Amino acid sequence: MNRYLQKNYALFNREVKTDDKFTEGIRKLVRTPSLQYLLFGVLMCVVGFLATQKILPYSWQSAFASTFAYAIASIGFCLLMGYSGLASLGTGGFIGIGTYAVHYVMVEAKLPFFVALLAAIGVSVLIGLIVGFISLRIEGIYLVILTLALSEILKTLYAAIEPKLTLSMKDALIFGQRLPTTMSLTLVMVFLVIVMIITSNLINSPTGRAMLAMKNSTAAAQAMGISLIKYRLMSFVICTAYASITGVMLMMVMRSADATDPTGYYALITSLNILAAVIIGGYKSIWGAVFGTFIMYGIKLVIFNQIPFLANNSLIITLASGVLVIIIAMYYPGGLAQLLLEAKTKISAIIKKMKEDKYGKDLG
Amino acid sequence: MCVTAIVTLAITLIFRTSFTTNFAQGVISAFGAYVASFVITKWEFPVLIAIPVSMIVSMGVAILVDVGLFRRGRYVNALSKQIITMGLISIVTGLTPVIFGEVEQYMINSIVKDNFTIDVPGDVDISVTYNALVCVAITAVIIPLIFILLRYSKWGLSVRATASNEYIAGMMGINTHVVTAVSWGLAGALGALAAYMRASEVKVVTTYFMTDYQVSAFLAGILGGFSTFHGPVICALLIPLAENLVMAIFNILGLSELTRWSKVIIYAIALVIIFAKPQGIFGKKIEKKV
Repeated sequence: MNRYLQKNYALFNREVKTDDKFTEGIRKLVRTPSLQYLLFGVLMCVVGFLATQKILPYSWQSAFASTFAYAIASIGFCLLMGYSGLASLGTGGFIGIGTYAVHYVMVEAKLPFFVALLAAIGVSVLIGLIVGFISLRIEGIYLVILTLALSEILKTLYAAIEPKLTLSMKDALIFGQRLPTTMSLTLVMVFLVIVMIITSNLINSPTGRAMLAMKNSTAAAQAMGISLIKYRLMSFVICTAYASITGVMLMMVMRSADATDPTGYYALITSLNILAAVIIGGYKSIWGAVFGTFIMYGIKLVIFNQIPFLANNSLIITLASGVLVIIIAMYYPGGLAQLLLEAKTKISAIIKKMKEDKYGKDLG
Repeated sequence: MCVTAIVTLAITLIFRTSFTTNFAQGVISAFGAYVASFVITKWEFPVLIAIPVSMIVSMGVAILVDVGLFRRGRYVNALSKQIITMGLISIVTGLTPVIFGEVEQYMINSIVKDNFTIDVPGDVDISVTYNALVCVAITAVIIPLIFILLRYSKWGLSVRATASNEYIAGMMGINTHVVTAVSWGLAGALGALAAYMRASEVKVVTTYFMTDYQVSAFLAGILGGFSTFHGPVICALLIPLAENLVMAIFNILGLSELTRWSKVIIYAIALVIIFAKPQGIFGKKIEKKV
């Protein structure tokens, strides 16, 4: 047995119980990503329900809702950065597409929610195509700055059209029913779970492989017959579409948007936060993106606001998140997902060692 | 306009020597403005002392970033440097009120008071403050000075060598660490100066008040081409000029309600130019080897 196998023996030697069909079946089911996402969604809905019943803090409802709305954009960004190797700072501007779609379709034209969603996705696909074409000519840091400029254009555009948006109670209709604020978390979770399932399937499909190939070497990918233009456009389109869904969700949850606010949805700080969330979580993992978003947005709203000292000194949290981002960027480029994997490997190695000490070496 | 030019120069310096876009430039500059304001309001020092003090503090902060963070990371590459500068935004934003107190409004005086008006044929007279003139004068001295230093001094030569290839510059006996640190320090000082100039116009300092300039500076940088030092600065001067030109054209045509679109129009034109010429107006094309 070579040294690598010996070192990672625990990884290859997973225990599989064959005698108990039922437990094995459940294990398999739990390991299915789609089901995990679904379970997570149901769990969060239950948390939301308990929050509305005031068993858990009431503010958790909207806190989780806005956090997971941002998580949709993070997942798109994760696909763009971790799988296609492209970076963008246009997220803030793309979120705006969604909010304005809600404004024009639902408030002005009084059309149903799904029309707004479709409109947001339609416009964002167009914008994504434009950015995708630009990305064929400009790469790396230059592309980042260019998307930043594009986002700035969009922001200025929003400020010039209509700086302040509000979605009143009577306009927030879904299936002809008014959406109470207590249901917004459920709405967000439905979309988050759908997005997670779509993305995880995409990553494990030939498309995902092609994107990975493109990330590692554009020249080699092209030599293997992967169309650069197709996959670059695709990843930008998906990323912008997800960001616009985030915009729609944020509008449904928070009910207002302000283009002139320097820390608002369309500001540079949103794009940077989403990027930081993906970096913290691990840029190749969907769970990482969701968890990173929770750290950047949710942890403050959900946990720290319950502690009086920290609620009064909210800047400590800003400070702490900055320190966290720097530490992860400097020492753990794979993010928390990588950290977790390393920890898991180490723990299973320790368990293996303990077993060996107790029962002797497995010579089979 | 002067503010954008100085910020652009600072960002270009960092980009060329550290190979990263410094997103924290805006907040570090704003930090400098806070220092200046603190020195003026609390210690009641004159403006001429406050500006150098703020520049030195910003310089210190920037050098600390380079020496303390960029050199130490184990996996530092261009992207992670960018992310570190983003983390810095959070840190500086969090620290500023802790150091300077949260409640007080930070005000800043003009460098020189008073203003005069120029009579123009038309309805509105143009009001010019001496403050703005002083800002223009400072810019007109500082930017050529730095360019002359870059072109003819030993320091300038080592900066240009580091910019073209850090590794080989190091082998040629240039202490690239010092070059990078000095660039960061200079960028911090320039940022503080620009922030003071901006603050003397708007009178109130906030943490995010330099972010717009930073974004314009990035755009100017990529429009002018980051591969040169002069390109970004020229574009930083051109963009506001063009914006005012568009505004003036709208005003003359009697479409004054369209003036709020002028920024969008200029940015869109800039995007088209970048799309046509990705290396920038003044940039040199770099052949990529596979």
